[in-house]
Amino acid sequence: MNDIAVSPLMAWLVGNPLLGPFAEFGFMRDALLGCVALSLSAAPVGVFLMLRRMSLTGDAMAHAILPGAAIGYLVSGLSLTAMTIGGIAAGLTVAVGSGLVARNTVLREDTSLAAFYLLSLALGVLIVSVRGNSVDLLHVLFGTVLALDNAALTLLGGISATTLVALALLYRPLVLECLDPGFLRQVSRWSPVAHYGFLGLLVINLVAGFHALGTLMAVGIMVLPAATARFWVRRLGPLLLLATALALLACLSGLLISYHADWPTSPVIVLSLGAMYLLSLLFAPQGALRHQRPASSHLQA
Amino acid sequence: MNTSLRRHLIASVIGLATAALSPALLAQTVAPIKAVASFSILGDLVRQVGGDRVAVEVLVGPGSDAHVFQPTPSQARLVGQAQIVFSNGLGFEGWMSRLLGTAGYKGRHVVASRGIQAIHTEEAGEKPHAGHQHEETDPHAWQSVPNAMVYVGNIVKGLCEADATGCASYRRNAVAYNAQLKALDTDIRATWAVIPATQRKIITSHDAFGYYAHAYGVKFLAPQGVNTDSEASAKGVAQLVRQIKQEQIKALFVESISDPRLIAQIGRETGAKPAGELFSDSLSNAQGPAASYVAMMRANTTALTQAIQGH
Amino acid sequence: MHKPPSPSAVPAIELHDLTLGYDRHPAVHHVSLRIAPGSLLALVGPNGAGKSTLIKALAGELHPISGTLHGLTGPRIAWLPQRSELDRSFPVTVRDMVALGLWHHVGAFGLFTAEHRRLCAEALAAVGLTGFEQRSLDALSGGQLQRALFARLILQDAPVVLLDEPFAAVDNRTTSDLLALLHRWHRQGKTVIVVLHDLAQVRAHFPLTLLLARELVACGPTAEVLTDAHWARAQRMHEAFDDEAPLCAATPDTHPHTHAAEAFT
Repeated sequence: MNDIAVSPLMAWLVGNPLLGPFAEFGFMRDALLGCVALSLSAAPVGVFLMLRRMSLTGDAMAHAILPGAAIGYLVSGLSLTAMTIGGIAAGLTVAVGSGLVARNTVLREDTSLAAFYLLSLALGVLIVSVRGNSVDLLHVLFGTVLALDNAALTLLGGISATTLVALALLYRPLVLECLDPGFLRQVSRWSPVAHYGFLGLLVINLVAGFHALGTLMAVGIMVLPAATARFWVRRLGPLLLLATALALLACLSGLLISYHADWPTSPVIVLSLGAMYLLSLLFAPQGALRHQRPASSHLQA
Repeated sequence: MNTSLRRHLIASVIGLATAALSPALLAQTVAPIKAVASFSILGDLVRQVGGDRVAVEVLVGPGSDAHVFQPTPSQARLVGQAQIVFSNGLGFEGWMSRLLGTAGYKGRHVVASRGIQAIHTEEAGEKPHAGHQHEETDPHAWQSVPNAMVYVGNIVKGLCEADATGCASYRRNAVAYNAQLKALDTDIRATWAVIPATQRKIITSHDAFGYYAHAYGVKFLAPQGVNTDSEASAKGVAQLVRQIKQEQIKALFVESISDPRLIAQIGRETGAKPAGELFSDSLSNAQGPAASYVAMMRANTTALTQAIQGH
Repeated sequence: MHKPPSPSAVPAIELHDLTLGYDRHPAVHHVSLRIAPGSLLALVGPNGAGKSTLIKALAGELHPISGTLHGLTGPRIAWLPQRSELDRSFPVTVRDMVALGLWHHVGAFGLFTAEHRRLCAEALAAVGLTGFEQRSLDALSGGQLQRALFARLILQDAPVVLLDEPFAAVDNRTTSDLLALLHRWHRQGKTVIVVLHDLAQVRAHFPLTLLLARELVACGPTAEVLTDAHWARAQRMHEAFDDEAPLCAATPDTHPHTHAAEAFT
């Protein structure tokens, strides 16, 4: 039996259903830390994705990253560095490539991206099925939020910090690029920086997400909090804050539910996000049932 | 040449030829006994006892799983043509009686574990059920070397009945092999002797070491919370971590966690190191560390003791 | 604050043999003209005459197939396209959207000062949108949105203002308010070029008119340009014919341009 003197506070902490798992287990603390870093950066990126009508693009990009991660895995196994570099390289190639095709040929952005990401995904599946083993593929797909070591946490923290700084710097050009890209093109040369910079942020956040939650679910933590927040608030500032808060809440509840109910962690996190989305869809002020409310009073002017 | 001389000449030629060829003919007429062993470990034991006189075919080869084995038609044919079939018994081969029936096998069937004191599997990994326990016989009797010597005895008996002329040779082989087994047993006990009893604890997802535990005084614990191959839940990992900390386990042989990153995380949190490979139900292939029964027992013992001692 | 730029500070806009098109089909054919600074010019013509194409080229949105364009790289241009790429559902307020007109002062990182906020308030007042600062864009009517876009143009404070059919989907009261704004810009000395199809508006408000029917038909004082003869010529414009490039200026120019007749199909 461990013979750490158990103070009353410690005993209470460990017994508490919300704090206990984190007090008692290092891996839970690491998981929470990783999720916090991820939420802080992925949720704001998701808000901009939604406002630029690029939510499905985000999903496509998540698939495009797969061959990069697969190649990294083939070269060095489940190595953080290899899969990160591979994922980023693949993501940027697809992002830039499809953007160039869209800007310089008759194809529009959505078709161009679809073509690229399908090629990328097929390549990824081919590589893994020829050289990899299916169990490891599952881990690439599902991530390991419970197994984040110091290197992984550093990576997630770094990506989070980079994203927040970049968003702060690019805020005005990014907003204008979403709001009125023609105007931005007229008054400044920030347009390509804003566009490609944003795609770069998308790629690195997807890579961060896939280490923690896996490729299938990395997009969830971007898109779902933004969509949910949209049912509650309308202005951009509040959207960013609320989406981040919702992402944090879902990660926390996902970890706790996985702990208490013995369910696999990353699906539970995404389902928590989904549950919040559904509840908001039905009951939030901007939700689907808003017209069913009894008419509220209004002002004269 | 006159007729009688020719006759003599022909007779001599035939006689010489016969004499020259006789050892070969003799050998050919004493064809090897066709034996079939159900799985690789048993196959090795039968080969050790049978020597050149017995040709052993193994159904569940190295690396395969006897629990989910599906015999192919060619294997059914093999069984049909065999003169003697060896199986483990104790419920290890659920498919054996069906296979023997399909193959129309009418020959000898030797159950190698006859006469062994069977023990029950303990389902330590599951949550305690109210009222009843799962009492199943543990079939992995070979994990204790003294039991292996009982297997050898049954094998000799069976081979002698199938092939009386070779019985002396079988007995000789058995005596020599049993000497090896005795030495093996002594070695294993000596290896464990340097480790205090309180530290002889291992976590492994194999539930196949009951007899080993019994014979050599080692405690095998099933990993709590992570005994399936699906994605780990936080609760599962927490249970395992708690178990390791409480029991002060130093070595993990957890094949049911397939993600090496998760094993590394558990290792960081508890200090328990993921250790090598254990062979429970079959030998390794010929190039591997457990290509024979003796090699397998040595390899397992080395892996277990070194893991505990922190090598 | 609003000092009219002297004629020498802002160059004239000059087009030399400009041909513009899409996919090698010319939409605007061999146009040469000179627009003096400070002109208030209406750009008119039948449908398909290339008016939008021409004004887009002036705004820098199109590259000429041949010919050259002068006088539009130095001064800043405020340009309002016919179909704005503005995303009305984007969650910003009227004030935030309008304030972006001050980009030339604050750029990507500058802070908005009290002075900037005062300018925004003035601009909104000038277009009659005082009180709408915190309204979100999707709560505005068509007319209100157009006023807001004009407020942004005010804040841009550019010496050249280009507008493509700014009153297309807007009510009469808004139209007359915004026309008053155009006059204000004219008095400030800005060069204002507007594509319009309502000839009554043109006659009433615009001293100069350019009549375009893929090629230049006429350019000059409105009364001289909007004649039946010119209009009839414009309607027939797909035929080849010989013309001298007319000069379109508030002051007489000294270089008449001629070029040979060209047949084209």
